[in-house]
Amino acid sequence: MNNKVVAMLLAGGQGSRLKSLTYTIAKPALPFGGKYRIIDFPLSNCTNSGIETVGVLTQYQPHVLHSYIGLGTPWDLDRRNGGVTMLPPYAEIDGNKWYAGTASAIYQNITFLQSCDPEYVLILSGDHIYKMDYEVLVDYHKAHEADVTISVLEVPWEEASRFGIINVDENMKVLEFDEKPENPKSNLASMGVYIFTWKKLKEYLEADNLNEESSHDFGHDILPAMMDNGDKMIAYPFKGYWKDVGTVDSFWEANMDLLDLNSGLNLHDSGWRIYSSNPQLPPQVINKTGNVQSSMVNEGCVISGDVTKSIIFQKVVIEEGAVISESVIMSGVTIHKGAKLHRVIVPPQFEVPEGFEVVDQQDKVVLLTDEEVEKWKERGER
Amino acid sequence: MEGAWRTMNLLAVVDASIKKEGLQDLTMQRTVSSVPFAGRYRLIDFTLSNLVNSGVSTVGVFPSYPLASLLDHIGVGKSWDLDRRKNGLYFLPVTQRDGGISSVGAFAGLEEHLQFFTKSSQPYVIVTNSFIVTQLDYKDMFEKHIKSGADFTEAISKGVQLKTYILSKELLIELIQTYQDKQVVSVEDVVNLKKSPYTFNEYEYKGYFAVIDSIQSYFEASMDLLNEDKREQLFLENRPIFTKVKDEPPTRYVSGSHVERALIANGSTIVGDVIDSLISRGVYIKKGARVENCIIMQKSTVEENCDLAYVIADKDVYIGEGVVLHGTPERPIVLRKGANVTKEDIR
Repeated sequence: MNNKVVAMLLAGGQGSRLKSLTYTIAKPALPFGGKYRIIDFPLSNCTNSGIETVGVLTQYQPHVLHSYIGLGTPWDLDRRNGGVTMLPPYAEIDGNKWYAGTASAIYQNITFLQSCDPEYVLILSGDHIYKMDYEVLVDYHKAHEADVTISVLEVPWEEASRFGIINVDENMKVLEFDEKPENPKSNLASMGVYIFTWKKLKEYLEADNLNEESSHDFGHDILPAMMDNGDKMIAYPFKGYWKDVGTVDSFWEANMDLLDLNSGLNLHDSGWRIYSSNPQLPPQVINKTGNVQSSMVNEGCVISGDVTKSIIFQKVVIEEGAVISESVIMSGVTIHKGAKLHRVIVPPQFEVPEGFEVVDQQDKVVLLTDEEVEKWKERGER
Repeated sequence: MEGAWRTMNLLAVVDASIKKEGLQDLTMQRTVSSVPFAGRYRLIDFTLSNLVNSGVSTVGVFPSYPLASLLDHIGVGKSWDLDRRKNGLYFLPVTQRDGGISSVGAFAGLEEHLQFFTKSSQPYVIVTNSFIVTQLDYKDMFEKHIKSGADFTEAISKGVQLKTYILSKELLIELIQTYQDKQVVSVEDVVNLKKSPYTFNEYEYKGYFAVIDSIQSYFEASMDLLNEDKREQLFLENRPIFTKVKDEPPTRYVSGSHVERALIANGSTIVGDVIDSLISRGVYIKKGARVENCIIMQKSTVEENCDLAYVIADKDVYIGEGVVLHGTPERPIVLRKGANVTKEDIR
């Protein structure tokens, strides 16, 4: 029997709630955790789970993603058979095929999927931070002889109305699928990770394509249709760290979670590495005047200031007298003397002027922009 | 000869077979060329990077034994972009000889790979080593060599021989075929003897360099890198030092850590105190430990409440709880690769 699993990674998201961070790059390409990009997580999960064929579906600002993923070498996906294939939208004889929804994106790559001849298709999202063994999910799907298995996790009850909520019976069979319910009946949220038996999925994709009423989305169209027809839909309870970094606040929180040894997001676990591109940079330098506490620092940095509870990407220079706390400083940033940053996200290549301050924002997270710096200068503070 | 100095006309011999008795503690299981340096590099990285940064793309590496660690490190030369369809990196091991010859570019070894020279198209050869750390620009040196019209050009810095030579391939092949009659053993030998009838030219290199031939020189050169001025001469933005990359996460500084003047590679976890030291990839410095004037190599662990000064801990060393080890600047204590040191061992 063919047991081949092909992963289809949806990486076209714009991530508009991340504001200027995603003006020029797709959300999955967003830098995270000192050296990674968000898409490193699902890609590494594939590699670590033994999934060797991965299609990456791109749409919004795909350039950085395409050049970053390249042949897939950092994730060991540069293979003669399978490996990674970039799947941007394309034109056909009867017009352009822009990806209208998650389901249409998969439907438009049906030729690719057929050429892979899979038994199962794993649908992943390129904008979540988590470590998950998909092989366990596949085994679970097989053991339940399901048509589709949805990975779910327990979220705090008070937050349940923000998610797609799944109601199940005692055998984890899905009874109901509630998109952002006002009064949730359970706290099991869909992670946007689905595994389908390919034969079944193909039928639904073809039918959905012909349905002019459809928004061509898994959550809104495909899964409800399968439910209505009585196909076997099972929930897989995932236990572990998972975060949708959709907003500036959740992006900041997920970075801070890396510093909490109990958060479940340990990057120093050699048994489940997160692979990424590795630039050729010298080790980091902590100078005599430098002080680093409860932080993560990447290669190529020179730290002469004070850093507490922060994530520092590569090639960051923090000058003497600068004080950084609970912040995310992206690659190539220079923070000049005496600058004070508390709960700030500094985008790549930014130059923070001498004496610039962002402190005490009533615990709000500030995404630093050129306008912010201009306003500070106009106020005559320097 | 218009453009003769272009480095595409240059073939490189990296003599990675030189043994240094003074480095024995670090070379029990590896060649001098694969001794770890500066937190994430191996000594040969500096030579290979200088070659590719100078535009040399055909490189023959002549290793000594045991060569597993060097082979594992350089592989097919991917990290230096030397994994090419045309030209690229050639790994050219020579028959193991007792004692060996300790001068650069030994003809006996080159003779075993005569085809490497006869088959390649480049008319000039650079013969260099992998125990001197520099930012040598081979392109500039080659240009000066062609202008001088001499048979040999030797790189010199502040009166120190950098054991790097340029000569024509024709001359090198002639020497390989006749060295026994001429009673010379190596390119270095020919240059040092100023053997007639050849003419010799010197190329003055002005940048940073360190000759790594003993534990003392290794320690000093390592500590040099804590000096910003020296570090900036070695790590240049437009001439990067390439090495085999590893998927290590950024280094984690846990609450209570204290770091003062240190060079630290990725993948490490620092809980204790690190002062005036170099820490390689994947090192764990635990709570209450104090590491001062030390070099701690890849994947070593310093347990709680250790007190180390002037210690070089090689790869995979485990230093048990409460161990106190104090060397001196002149005689740092070397813990060999894989060593396991406990309080009981020291008593």
